[in-house]
Amino acid sequence: MFSLSTFLDAFWPLTMAARYTLLVSGLGIALGLVIGAFVCVLALSKSRAARIAAAVWVSYLRGVPMLVQLLVVFFLLPVIGIDVPAIVAAVVTTAIVASAYISEIWRGAITALPRGQAEAAIAIGMRPRDSWIRIILPQAVALSIPQLINELILLVKASSLVSVVGVMEITRASQAQAGVTFRPLEAYLAAACLYLAINLCLAALGRWLEHRMAV
Amino acid sequence: MDLSIFTEYGPRLLAGFRLTIICWLLGTVFGAALGLLIAVAQRYGGRTVRWALQTYIELIRGTPFLVQLFLLYYGGPMIGLRLDPMPAGLLGLTIYGSPYFAEIFRSAFRAVPLGLIEAGRAIGMTELAIVRRILLPVGLVSAVPALVNFSIILTKETVILSIITVPEVMYQTQYMATMTFTFLEGYFTLALFFWAFVEVISRLGRRLERRITRHLIERT
Amino acid sequence: MVEASSVEIRKVNKYYGPFQALKDVDLTIPPGKVTCLIGPSGSGKSTLLRCINFLEEYDSGEIRIDGQLIGYEAPGRKMSGRKLRAMRRSIGMVFQQFNLWPHMTALGNVAEGLVRVRGLRKAEAETRAAEALAKVGLADKMGNHPSRLSGGQQQRVAIARAIAMEPRLMLFDEPTSALDPELVGEVLNVMKTLAAEGMTMVVVTHEMGFAAHVADQVAFMEKGELVGVDSPAGILHHPEDIRIQGFLRTYHERNSF
Repeated sequence: MFSLSTFLDAFWPLTMAARYTLLVSGLGIALGLVIGAFVCVLALSKSRAARIAAAVWVSYLRGVPMLVQLLVVFFLLPVIGIDVPAIVAAVVTTAIVASAYISEIWRGAITALPRGQAEAAIAIGMRPRDSWIRIILPQAVALSIPQLINELILLVKASSLVSVVGVMEITRASQAQAGVTFRPLEAYLAAACLYLAINLCLAALGRWLEHRMAV
Repeated sequence: MDLSIFTEYGPRLLAGFRLTIICWLLGTVFGAALGLLIAVAQRYGGRTVRWALQTYIELIRGTPFLVQLFLLYYGGPMIGLRLDPMPAGLLGLTIYGSPYFAEIFRSAFRAVPLGLIEAGRAIGMTELAIVRRILLPVGLVSAVPALVNFSIILTKETVILSIITVPEVMYQTQYMATMTFTFLEGYFTLALFFWAFVEVISRLGRRLERRITRHLIERT
Repeated sequence: MVEASSVEIRKVNKYYGPFQALKDVDLTIPPGKVTCLIGPSGSGKSTLLRCINFLEEYDSGEIRIDGQLIGYEAPGRKMSGRKLRAMRRSIGMVFQQFNLWPHMTALGNVAEGLVRVRGLRKAEAETRAAEALAKVGLADKMGNHPSRLSGGQQQRVAIARAIAMEPRLMLFDEPTSALDPELVGEVLNVMKTLAAEGMTMVVVTHEMGFAAHVADQVAFMEKGELVGVDSPAGILHHPEDIRIQGFLRTYHERNSF
C-alpha cells in the first residue's frame, strides 16, 4: 500500500539532491549558450568549411542518444588524461548537447527576421557589425527566449540520466532512497513531483519572460 | 582495439539492434495511437475531460522518462502492476510519447482551416463524416512532419530502456563493454552507429513527408 | 429550369458578445431571382448570408426557406442536427476561400457530398460529379488536386460541388474576392449561366458590374443594418440614401485610378 509518511520523508534528501540537478542543467545551459553562439556563428559564416563543421557538430549531437554521449565523455576524459569527478563529465555532456540545440534555435531566430531589418540598418549607413549588435541580435534573442526556456526544461529532465555515472542528483537520490526504504513507489513518485515542481516554475518563468519581451 | 570482439559479440549487438527497432516502432505506433485518442477526446470532450487530459499531458511532460520507467517498473509491483522489462519498457514509451503526439495532433487539427469543415456542414455532412473524411485526413497529413520529427526523438529514448534491463542495443553494448573492458570503444561505436541510423531515418522521413504532403502545398 | 426556393428574413438579430452584427434585418428573396448584397466590409452582409444556411446562428428573428424556419424548431429551441442537415442539402454555398478539400481531386470534391450525404453509389456519384464539372467548364481537370488548379478553376470546382447536390438555393460569399483580377470573369460567367437557369441566388459581392447586370434586386447593408433594397438601377444609379451615395462615391473613386 502507498505510505504517505515514506513519500513525505523522501522529499528532504531529494531536495538536497535537486541542487545537483539544477547545477548540471544550469551550468549545462550556461555553457551551452556560449558554445551554441559559437557554433551558430560558424553555421552562418561565409566559409564552407566552417558551415560543414557546424553541421557535423549539430548532426552528431542531435543524432546520438544523450545517455550514449554521456558514457562516451565519461570514459573518454580519463583516457585523454583528464581525471575529474563524474559531475564534470555530466556538465560537459549536457553543455555540448545543449549547444547543438541552442545553435539551431538561434540560427532559426536570426533567419526568421525579415531581411528588411538588416537592409534598413545598412540603408541608413550602419556598419554591418553595428547592424548585428543593434538590430539583429536583440530581436533574435527576444524571439528565442521561449525556446531557450523550453530547452532548459528538457535539460532538467535529461539530467536524470547522469544518475547512471553516479552523480547524486534527484534520480540517483531517489534510487538510494528506494534502496534504503524498500519502497520504490514512494521514492520515485517524490522524485517525479520534484521534477514537476522545478519544470512548472521554469515554465511560469518562461511565460513571464515571453510576456515581458513581447513587443 | 581488437576488432575481433565485434565478431564475437556481433550477433548479440545485432539482436539488440533488432529489439531497438521493435521498441521504437511499437512505441511510436502505440504512443501515436494514444496521442490521437487524447487529441480527439480533447477536441470533442466536455470541460472535465479536457481538463483531466491536459493535467495528464502536463504530468508526463514535466517528468523525466527515466523516472517514469522506474515508477512503472519498480513502483508498479507495489500496486499490483508486475511487468517484465520489455512490456514495462513499451508501456513506458507509449505513455511517455503520448502527450507529445497528442499536442502534435491537436495543433494539426487546429490548423485545418475552419472553411474546409464549414464546406462539409454546408452540404449537410454529419459531424462524424466531417471528422472521418475531412478533419482526420487533412489534419493527419499536416501532422506528418512533426510526427516524423518526434518519432526520431523516440529512437533516441529507447536506449534508456537498457537501464531497466531491456536487452536492446545499448544493453548489449554495455554487456560487451563489461565483458571485454572496451567501454570507450564500445560506446563510441554505438554513438557512430546511432548517428548514422538517425541520419538515415531522418532522410527517409523527409522523403515520406514530401510524398504525403504534396497536395497541401499551394501552387506557386 | 431548376426548382427554386424563396427566402424570408424577418427581424433577424445577431450578436458577437456585446457587438451587434445584424440589427432587425428584413429581406425577401424571391424564387428564381438573383439578390446581391453589397456594402462596406464589416457591414454584416457575409454574416447575414451565413445565417441563411445557419453556419452562423442568429439570435432572434426568423429565416424561412420555402416557409420552413431554419436552425430553430421554435424561437429559442434549436433544430436537431439531422433536420438542419436535411435543409442544408438543398442550399448550396460557395465560399470566398473556395474551401476545397485539399486531399481529394476535383472529382472527389464534387462526388463527396453525393456519396456521404445523398447516399449515391460511388460510380453514379462520379458520373454526376463529372457532369457538374463539365458544366463549369472543367471536364479536363477532374483528376487534378486543388493545389494543381488556378484560383478561378478552384472556385468553379467549388460551384460544381454545390450544384451537384441539386440545390434550390445558392449562397455566394464574395466568390471572386480572393481571385486575381484576370480570373474573375470565368467565375462570374458560370454564375451568370446559373442565374439564367432560374436558380435562386444570394450573392455577397464587391463586383458592382455583376450586381448591375445580373442581379434582379440589390440590397445595401451598413453597420449591421439593411439600408435599402431596390432594383440594381435604383440602388446603383439613383440611390436615395446618403449612406449608399457615400459608399458608391468611394467605390468609384477607388476604381477611377
